[in-house]
Amino acid sequence: MDLVESQVYIIIFSTLFLGGIMSTFVISMVFIHRQRQAQNLQKMDQVKSEHEKTLLNIENEIQQETLTHIGRELHDNIGQLLSLAKLNFGSIKPEKIAEGRDILGQAIQEVRGLSKQLNLDWVESISINEFIEQQLERIQNTGFCETSLDANFELIDLPKDRKLVLIRVIQESLNNALKHASPENILIRMRENGEIRQILIQDDGKGFDSSQKSNGSGMFNLKKRMETIGGEFNLTSSVGKGTEITLTLPN
Amino acid sequence: MDSRFVAAFLTEYLIIVDLIGLSGIFFFFRLSNDQRVQMYFWLPFMILIFTVFCENMVAYTLYDHEFNKTINAYLGNTEFPRYNLWLHNITNLLVLTSLYFFLIRYWIEPSKKKYMNWMIIGFLISNQILQFSGIEPIFWFQPIIFSIGANMILVGSGLYFVGFMTNDLYLNSNPLRLISFWQMTFILFTYSLTYINFVAMPFLVTHNYELGRSMFQINLIMSVFNLAILLLTIASPKLPKLFEKEPSYGFS
Repeated sequence: MDLVESQVYIIIFSTLFLGGIMSTFVISMVFIHRQRQAQNLQKMDQVKSEHEKTLLNIENEIQQETLTHIGRELHDNIGQLLSLAKLNFGSIKPEKIAEGRDILGQAIQEVRGLSKQLNLDWVESISINEFIEQQLERIQNTGFCETSLDANFELIDLPKDRKLVLIRVIQESLNNALKHASPENILIRMRENGEIRQILIQDDGKGFDSSQKSNGSGMFNLKKRMETIGGEFNLTSSVGKGTEITLTLPN
Repeated sequence: MDSRFVAAFLTEYLIIVDLIGLSGIFFFFRLSNDQRVQMYFWLPFMILIFTVFCENMVAYTLYDHEFNKTINAYLGNTEFPRYNLWLHNITNLLVLTSLYFFLIRYWIEPSKKKYMNWMIIGFLISNQILQFSGIEPIFWFQPIIFSIGANMILVGSGLYFVGFMTNDLYLNSNPLRLISFWQMTFILFTYSLTYINFVAMPFLVTHNYELGRSMFQINLIMSVFNLAILLLTIASPKLPKLFEKEPSYGFS
């Protein structure tokens, strides 16, 4: 074989080799893409099922809390009203009977109000602002501490699942403040700045060193829950200076 | 009809290329005004029309020897007046390669576009330096310029495939139904299959002209495939069942 002939073979071989390499490259790309696609789908399914599980847990927790609240209301409020009505109806004085009727009417109203809370349809009809107002009013009524809400926007456009998560996170944050911080004041601020919407929950309670890793799973769960709806949970606190929780809402 | 005209213009290759070009014009003008101003459509259309124009110009230089001789003489080539390498160098190696750079740049992730920008600048500068320094004159074979362009095109296609495998937007789609995948695949094949041919062209022309000619057929076939996929890109709004909507990186 002379030099020219061998060079010609090299040229033919190199062309075929390059063509082969490129074919292998493209086919491997498609295979890897398919594999990654399958992994991605699996991951998406996992995230979806985790999200559903979180939602289910939250619904259960809200229902549990609602039942506790209803139990308390039945005992402390409606039970009292009915006892009072019974006492009034036992009297022969017409004004007492009329008062008993009023009290009975009041009890019926209370029962109607409570029955609405038994399913979660109320979540759809209420805005986050209204929910926060209700929660703060409830805390204020216990005389535990002073509360206030300062909002520069009305949060009504959230889908039900996101709203449920947010409601639960707010509720849990307030419970934590009441349980652990013994604050004198709780302030909730709702701020909208361009595309960023935030809810800030501040208390002037005992506070704690937030730079130290917590052993409990409470904060971790709240953070995780906010992440499932595409939001963020941030907490800053220091001993004696209260706590501030920032909930950044998804766009 | 003049036999030279028939030999130059009525070849199977040129007829197919012209038909693809005419179909491209037809489908492009059937796009809405909004679509026509999108780079997704006008860049492939531009490449298609430019290629068709170049191929016809090549045929014209084979038909009108005087014209070819004048241009060659103007560029300093009086030794081989029938060569039309000057046209191939300007159109294929410089303009078309640059247009393919822009097409690849269009498809890759925004974070990787800067690499393409540098490659385009590097290619244009090296092209001019090699040409004007006389290392690779415009009327002669330019294997170095071709290999620089082809290597950059291959790297660019690689960048596309990296995004294609890692970006969630692409992971959610079927690659075989993406127009960008087929464009990149054919560009990759064209430049890799013709790589050795163009680099070894001076050798083949001197020592084994027939083999050089046969290998050049690969270029013609890949060119037809490339034009066909560009035509399909322009016609894709009329073929919704064939192609999926391209995942958007927020193209610009």
